[in-house]
Amino acid sequence: MNQITISVLVLGTTGLSFSLLLALLSKKLHVEDDPRLKEVLDVLPGLNCGACGYSGCRAYAEAVVKSLNLFNGCLPGGEEVNNKIAHILRIDAVDKKHTVTAICRCAAQEGQKKESTSYEGPQTCKAAHLIGGALDCIYGCMALGDCIEVCPVGALSLNNKKIYVDHTKCIACGKCVKACPRKLFIIIPLKENIDIYNVACSNKDKGAQTQKVCARGCIGCGLCTKVESSPYYLKDNLSYIDYKNATQTKPLEEGKEKCPTKCIDKEEFKISVKAP
Amino acid sequence: MKELLLIFISTVLINNLVLSYFLGICPFLGVSGRIESAFGMGMAVIFVMTLATSISWLIYHLILLPFGLFFLEYVVFILVIASLVQIVEMFIRKFSPALYQSLGIYLPLITTNCAILGVALFMVARNYKFLESVVFGFAAGLGFWLVLLIMAGIREELEYVEVPKVFKGASLTLITAGLLALIFMGFSGLISA
Repeated sequence: MNQITISVLVLGTTGLSFSLLLALLSKKLHVEDDPRLKEVLDVLPGLNCGACGYSGCRAYAEAVVKSLNLFNGCLPGGEEVNNKIAHILRIDAVDKKHTVTAICRCAAQEGQKKESTSYEGPQTCKAAHLIGGALDCIYGCMALGDCIEVCPVGALSLNNKKIYVDHTKCIACGKCVKACPRKLFIIIPLKENIDIYNVACSNKDKGAQTQKVCARGCIGCGLCTKVESSPYYLKDNLSYIDYKNATQTKPLEEGKEKCPTKCIDKEEFKISVKAP
Repeated sequence: MKELLLIFISTVLINNLVLSYFLGICPFLGVSGRIESAFGMGMAVIFVMTLATSISWLIYHLILLPFGLFFLEYVVFILVIASLVQIVEMFIRKFSPALYQSLGIYLPLITTNCAILGVALFMVARNYKFLESVVFGFAAGLGFWLVLLIMAGIREELEYVEVPKVFKGASLTLITAGLLALIFMGFSGLISA
């Protein structure tokens, strides 16, 4: 046999055996997609806009099917699409709405938080944070709006160097939590008929130090923790709310009233539907 | 043992595939924007490179050489690499969906990564024995992973630096790559002949 036939034979057999192996393995290792995934994909608009906080419609569909949570994420599709998806997954679209939201743990406005230098670098929080920014408080919001940039639903806004969260829009996707270099955002559960209370400070320094840099900082005095059945607790000179156990408005409100620096914020936002 | 160690160190640092042979430049420049994706890509390359080198060695020495068909090595190696990547992808998808998710598009991209074909061809050209080939493949992957991570780390920091307009983007990336290659030249004194 001459060399040409041998090479053709050898190459042919190798190629054939590989293709057979691949064919066999693709049957053996076939991964069954959730049939609902395709249905959800068909309902979605297929714009891959990313407004839901996922990289595309497919990623969103996968997340929705996997967690059986709607997040009401699809903005272009709106209520209609969300209802259809809810129908496919047999979950209630309304019940799942607004059970969590994001809050920003710094509510000091311009003038309240001290700025003794000016910052002229790249106008992003991430860059400013590297060198400290203009703000004296090393825990507080630098108000350059990295979070606004990443928010897929436009729920965040900046006014007087304070971040406002529009809780009717927030889908609690957690992008702001990741984007904030000072980790100011937390995702909190919403409770029935309770407004959103927020210890709007993240300064872990001792009280005297905190007061030097901000007029609204939490000084860790602990007065809010001393009211009856208080949901507040102290950690690292800073007050926190135990949201899981904060089921009554009264102690929350009393703690807020007691606060000498008025750093506890109340935002009137109640959900009336029962959280699951 | 000493031989294997020598192959290992010289492949990772001294004769780094990316920075001394300039193979696999496409993913090196393309996937080095973020550390996370660079890590995933590097891991996938280590995995496929080790496997591809071992299987290519077996096919070359057990099939091609006995028939005297050494000139077919290019075609056969490409065949091996492409099918291997497919098989690996199927396996990962079945048994570790999480890893499949994190590797994402990078896994199929490896099919066309010339560094892998390069390693297979070097392995033949240098007459490595089987164990040496496996170590060589693994070390080459590790070198790729290392350089990719270094590059991604530098590029993430560079985002916050003010750069003259002419240097922005691709040119700065290429300059960085060149400087890195120069730095890696320093390793050539590590092993004296």
